[in-house]
Amino acid sequence: MTQTNNPLPPERLLQLDDVNVHFPMREGLVKAVNGVSYHINRGEVLGIVGESGSGKSVTARSIMRLQPKQALDAGGSIRFRRKSGEEVLISSEDRQSRTMRDLRGNEIGMIFQEPMTALSPVHTIGTQIMRTVMLHRNVSKADARARAIELLTKVQMPRPNDIVDRYPHHLSGGMRQRAMIALALACDPTLLIADEPTTALDVTTEAQILHLLKSLQQELGMAIVFITHNFGVVADIADRVAVMYLGRVVETGTVDEIFYEPKHPYTQALLRSIPKLGGQKARRLKTISGTVPDPFNVPPGCSFHPRCMRAVGGICNVTTPPEVRFPNGQISRCHFAEEFRSEAAE
Amino acid sequence: MTVASEKAEAIQDDTLISIRGAKKYFPVHGGWLRKKIGEVRAVDDITFDIKKGETFGLVGESGSGKSSIARLILRAYDLTEGEILFRRSNGSIVDITSLGDREMREIRREMQMIFQDPYSSLNPRMTILDLVGEPLTIHGVGSPSEIEDRVAELLRLVGLRPEYVSRYPHAFSGGQRQRIGIARALALNPSFIAADEAVSALDVSVAAQNINLLQDLQEQLGLTYLFITHDLGMVEHISDRIGVMYLGRLMEVGPTEEMFSNPLHPYTEALLAAVPQPDPRGNRERKRVALKGEIADAMNIPTGCPFHPRCPYADSKCKAEVPALRSVAGGRQVRCHYAESLDLTGVAAQ
Ligand SMILES: Nc1ncnc2c1ncn2[C@@H]1O[C@H](COP(=O)(O)OP(=O)(O)O)[C@@H](O)[C@H]1O
Ligand SMILES: Nc1ncnc2c1ncn2[C@@H]1O[C@H](COP(=O)(O)OP(=O)(O)O)[C@@H](O)[C@H]1O
Ligand code: SF4
Ligand code: SF4
Ligand SMILES: [Mg+2]
Ligand SMILES: [Mg+2]
Repeated sequence: MTQTNNPLPPERLLQLDDVNVHFPMREGLVKAVNGVSYHINRGEVLGIVGESGSGKSVTARSIMRLQPKQALDAGGSIRFRRKSGEEVLISSEDRQSRTMRDLRGNEIGMIFQEPMTALSPVHTIGTQIMRTVMLHRNVSKADARARAIELLTKVQMPRPNDIVDRYPHHLSGGMRQRAMIALALACDPTLLIADEPTTALDVTTEAQILHLLKSLQQELGMAIVFITHNFGVVADIADRVAVMYLGRVVETGTVDEIFYEPKHPYTQALLRSIPKLGGQKARRLKTISGTVPDPFNVPPGCSFHPRCMRAVGGICNVTTPPEVRFPNGQISRCHFAEEFRSEAAE
Repeated sequence: MTVASEKAEAIQDDTLISIRGAKKYFPVHGGWLRKKIGEVRAVDDITFDIKKGETFGLVGESGSGKSSIARLILRAYDLTEGEILFRRSNGSIVDITSLGDREMREIRREMQMIFQDPYSSLNPRMTILDLVGEPLTIHGVGSPSEIEDRVAELLRLVGLRPEYVSRYPHAFSGGQRQRIGIARALALNPSFIAADEAVSALDVSVAAQNINLLQDLQEQLGLTYLFITHDLGMVEHISDRIGVMYLGRLMEVGPTEEMFSNPLHPYTEALLAAVPQPDPRGNRERKRVALKGEIADAMNIPTGCPFHPRCPYADSKCKAEVPALRSVAGGRQVRCHYAESLDLTGVAAQ
């Protein structure tokens, strides 16, 4: 399974192979990340979409080596290609290793739903950006300040010369989000990990931030891992999509493949349950029966089987489905994926 | 009981709640001596009717006054000015803003609220029996064994197993907790329920189940809903009519389909254009002009049309004159000087 021994293909920026992260809890072992594999190429936007608790954030924190203290690395590899071209095996690095401290901020930036998890309330926006710049670059204070103003301009902050000396609490929610993006971009990262960055925003501000991220991504050529539970957002920003359920990636493909030819019953059912704006009005929404099981009682076999309309007894509840790979590159973790080949989602 | 007879004539037969010229201003204190330095006009001259048995949706950016309207209707806040007429289940019409505490207690049985956060809105130390039965106990309705029967019936109604009565909220998922909140709201047979961001915190698949439940209950029990959400796809699905709020004012009111396919107010157009759809090709083709700027500071509402600093169609008249909420054809209302001449884009039914 794990191809850790082969070098990464040249276009590859990040690759996860069979990553496992567990939490030992009093009630039992939570396999929060249960064999996750995905990759992202240079300059690409990968959308990670899934319901809450599916392991999106734990996986992202694992890439940054910023997992909660109780988390156990339970195997798998995370590899990253540095700006120098050299490959690093992130999964064998410690949280505070030299390499990781250098990667975080300098090569991999991260933004969150709540800007105050990244911004300090007691320092001005300018000071915080300048610190990051000076930590990773050998520049004077004046140059770092100029860089801070340049970054604030780049994220289309209104009045950047004024905002640079303001504290986060002076800013509106949308402006804090922009400040956090500026901070994440301080050292021209090649990878930006965005964990639900627009979830708490109004649609109008969300549209502005999505637009900004798309234009920055094109201007700077960075890759983005964009995590969200919102299928509209992922359809808007992603080139490729990975759909997660209960600690596993159940399907990956290009954004058009996922939305117009989904090949996993979970993706198909989720897409049917979203009311589409301007869509044909049906009185009832289509639903998926039941709820996401609690993490201590992950069903055996295919973990989606208790909720799956297509589940076949004796197979789905017994055997974990393999990755079924289609000629176009789309991958579905379902025993019967081959049979959905020609079925488009209505 | 205050029967506003002259008002009763003015309320239409199919109306459950009539909100008229409602204002809610909050004083803002600041500085050393916590002196009043201004006010937030959370709700500013709002007038609309909610019809019996309909779902009226309220949308608008956060801070636009949606929750305040729900709270005014339920008298969790007192009005600064205006009146709110409510048709009781016995047929009488009351102005809830002029009722005393005792009368209001009676009315509250007929109006309930369900909340966004199913985690914090249920007391974790109470069993499901106590939580769902509490409104009955408070209003002295029934003996303990009658209450137990009623709770079991309510749980069945919301699709939960009656055997769960002795469990605590933590044993339930978010979607189930919300059903517990719904059962509690239904305990006293209300005619009206305000749902404030009720499914916003739930996962897609669970939100869809609970929306279906709310619609089934509406049909079975003849409920009227005020449905507040920032999710425009959801509001379109559930609402018969919609009100669009901006900075404490209604910008547009009308039937859902007509409004969303053919908006009359530039703010409605902007909201619809901002929504990213689960349709990558459509998103690429649609011209999505991001609305510029942010909602104004509620303490410094712009002159003239409050939307003018962000409106792509604004001119000097918009800066100077406040547009009134006017009735136009098709049972629609709009607050824009140029509603008739603008040709705005909505979301077409495919
Ligand atoms: N610090 C922690 N301790 C124990 N369990 C955790 C912790 N953080 C996350 N988990 C569990 O890991 C699973 C995945 O969580 P997460 O990655 O946050 O999901 P998502 O981001 O997809 O919503 C969940 O079941 C969650 O409860
Ligand atoms: N209890 C209160 N005290 C002071 N200001 C309030 C209070 N409740 C709401 N506001 C203000 O009123 C405005 C409208 O708020 P709200 O009704 O909560 O809007 P929405 O629900 O649309 O987000 C906001 O500016 C808010 O800060
Ligand atoms: S493997 Fe079986 S249960 Fe799992 S998604 Fe496929 S059909 Fe459904
Ligand atoms: S009145 Fe003027 S500023 Fe206001 S919405 Fe209409 S065109 Fe725009
Ligand atoms: Mg998360
Ligand atoms: Mg609100």
